[in-house]
Amino acid sequence: MKNRHETTKPVAKTEGLVTQELADELLVYDERKHKAHCLNETAWKIWEECTGEQSVAEISQRTSKKLKASVDETMVWVALDELSKNGLLQERVTVDALSRRAMMRRLGIGAAIAIPVVTSIIAPKAITAATCRPSGQSCTTGAQCCSGICSGTTCL
Amino acid sequence: MNKIDRLVWAEDITVISYGVRIGIRVNRAGLSEQLLPLLPPDWKPAAGGAVDRRYSIIAGREGGANARCYSLIYADSKQIARTSELVQALDAFESDLQLYVAEMSPRRVFVHAGVVGLNGKAILIPGRSFSGKTTLTAELVKAGAIYYSDEYAVLDKQGRVHHYARPLAIRENGQLAKPTKYQVEALGGRRGMKPLPVGLVIVSHYQQGAQWRPRRLSPGQGALALLANTVSARREPETMLATLQKVVLNTPVLKGKRGDAGQVVDFILNRLSG
Repeated sequence: MKNRHETTKPVAKTEGLVTQELADELLVYDERKHKAHCLNETAWKIWEECTGEQSVAEISQRTSKKLKASVDETMVWVALDELSKNGLLQERVTVDALSRRAMMRRLGIGAAIAIPVVTSIIAPKAITAATCRPSGQSCTTGAQCCSGICSGTTCL
Repeated sequence: MNKIDRLVWAEDITVISYGVRIGIRVNRAGLSEQLLPLLPPDWKPAAGGAVDRRYSIIAGREGGANARCYSLIYADSKQIARTSELVQALDAFESDLQLYVAEMSPRRVFVHAGVVGLNGKAILIPGRSFSGKTTLTAELVKAGAIYYSDEYAVLDKQGRVHHYARPLAIRENGQLAKPTKYQVEALGGRRGMKPLPVGLVIVSHYQQGAQWRPRRLSPGQGALALLANTVSARREPETMLATLQKVVLNTPVLKGKRGDAGQVVDFILNRLSG
């Protein structure tokens, strides 16, 4: 694990990911973990710059140009923390809770662009995404039950 | 599989449903006729040959108490039902088949959702069991919307919704009650047949006494809400994301708790009228 440091050059994870652009958001599906993420524009553009060759300061400059708005290093660190927590960077980048709170307070004041956000869900298994029966209803197979367990006659 | 293959089958049919080839063989003459209403909507007979899944249905003898009274159903080589009640076994067959087709369809993305049509646009109500989507679907149908499904939104690659019109399964005596099945005509409704572009997505969960005050989700959050109910999400993520993108890019996705379905119905009718 690396802590906040001037030489941090984050690298985006690419293997096993499927992406889909949506106007100013990016959907990312992690095929290994079966997790889906939605990156808002700020998080997306910062993630794009995580090539392993850019320092946080350089990512800040390049993203500011892309978004035509100020993206300071604090914003980049918050994004890296979010991206890292969701498994979208090759190495963990951690920001301690105290620093993160201070950063969020700073970003809240007069930020011209959205704070980087990554929203995530676990993709359902096929059976989870289908109609199921509650406990107590008759069944012959666990696949029919919301719990996934059939006693042989009744959903548990 | 070998053991089952050695049995003598009275009937052997092949059907195709949403691009999935299904073989069904039964040990009793006339039984395959009983299975037809249990098949997914829009099925067609197909010539024999290779299938994606083969169901073997062994109807037990009626009366008596020995093993031969049990009805058995296999999906390929996996036993999915063993019961003395043929009706229960066929229930398991129907559930398994519907889910298999929804997951494996090569050209469609199935989202667990209620769907109605209104003024040429589809309204999707995604949600798990017990979220209240069938109740809301039924109320919209009673208010004049065209019925497409209370089970799946079947999306094509252009993001249009196709019908999946099964009888509505409505829980009338509380969440734990077994649902009663109603043909849409019994509710005074009509079935839709034409694929429709999506005009609105309602992500709601029933909570007694709740007021319907939805917030609009961003397209990305809307896509996640649909993905959370997509049957083939894990199997075909690339197709799934591309299809959901077509749906959410220009479609409002509204999320909120709801109490009485009437509030939401009025809201939708006002929003999509004219």
